[in-house]
Amino acid sequence: MDLQDSFLTTTVNTVVNWARSNAIWPMPMGLACCAIEMMAFAGPKADASRFGSEVFRFSPRQSDLMLVAGWCSYKMAHAVRRIWDQMPDPKWCIAMGACASTGGMHRCYGVVQGIDNFLPVDVYIPGCPPRPEAVLHALMDIQEKIRNEHTVLIDSET
Amino acid sequence: MPKTLDFLFTPVDPPRKDATEANPLAKNSTFVPDVVEVLQAEFGSAIGDVTIYANEHTIYVQTDRIADVCAFLKDKHGFDYLSDLGGIDRFTENDRFEVFYNLMAIDRGKRLRLKVRVDEDNAVVPTIVGVHQAADWNERECWDMMGIRFEGHPDLRRMYLPEDFEYFPQRKEFPALGIPGSLPLPSQVDDGKTVDDPFPAAHGSKPQLRTPTSQ
Repeated sequence: MDLQDSFLTTTVNTVVNWARSNAIWPMPMGLACCAIEMMAFAGPKADASRFGSEVFRFSPRQSDLMLVAGWCSYKMAHAVRRIWDQMPDPKWCIAMGACASTGGMHRCYGVVQGIDNFLPVDVYIPGCPPRPEAVLHALMDIQEKIRNEHTVLIDSET
Repeated sequence: MPKTLDFLFTPVDPPRKDATEANPLAKNSTFVPDVVEVLQAEFGSAIGDVTIYANEHTIYVQTDRIADVCAFLKDKHGFDYLSDLGGIDRFTENDRFEVFYNLMAIDRGKRLRLKVRVDEDNAVVPTIVGVHQAADWNERECWDMMGIRFEGHPDLRRMYLPEDFEYFPQRKEFPALGIPGSLPLPSQVDDGKTVDDPFPAAHGSKPQLRTPTSQ
């Protein structure tokens, strides 16, 4: 078959979701020791660039994914929320580690008991800290979530 | 939350009789009888009890003379390094709070601990920032956590907690899990308000959907 003369059919959703899911640029919200594993996640051994996520953007304006790594105090929660609000849609959020997911061992007055109290979290990673492989797995979960969205269709209808 | 909080108080262990000789952890660097003598001669009744445990001298100083004592030690006896300063809640009827000053004479290799005590009603200690600049943040932390005011401190703001926080969390009557509503959280919806509930997610708060796209 001559490919030059033939054509492929697909949907806009598929193409857009394919593009989005393979270029998730994380906003590294490194708050505590989980940030070290987050660096390993981006580093050459775990190699997040295989999934198009090696570009850690330190500007929320250029990010798609907020990786909240570590425990979040009540005082920091306002800064995290502010940065989240500055990220353009569509955006996703990972709560990395026990502390970000539930407060973890910091069962005390100053630490938010899970960042889902002020952020919409898509994927929670257990562990203290999680291995970089677990972060990769969470990233793949996010990719799967993106591939199953009907983004463009609803955008055009509204 | 209960109105009165139960509190289990463990009294301090008394020092062992043979503490100075037999304690294997005792170091000579903390044994400074000459400095104690000089201080007692210089300040007289402003120097209170002197205790020794594991070869560590602790000198109780009259609260309003602490800056003078620190200045004297710094200028005349080489205690030019403030390694630590902090508050202790003893949870007693009188002289509830204690502020400790860990000083070090780097040239002589000697350490010394000063302590002052204050009542709960009048928890005010003169600042030593004029003597040791390093005391600045330690005194702010002590104010933040214990509620001990430092008279004359150039910038006595809270160190860690928000400025409008009403409690002092390291005081023993403060519950370790905090007081619900004392620290606001950002809102999940875009109304610019804050939330006083510490567990909004557990109480049905739903995050704002960004656009119809995420449904």
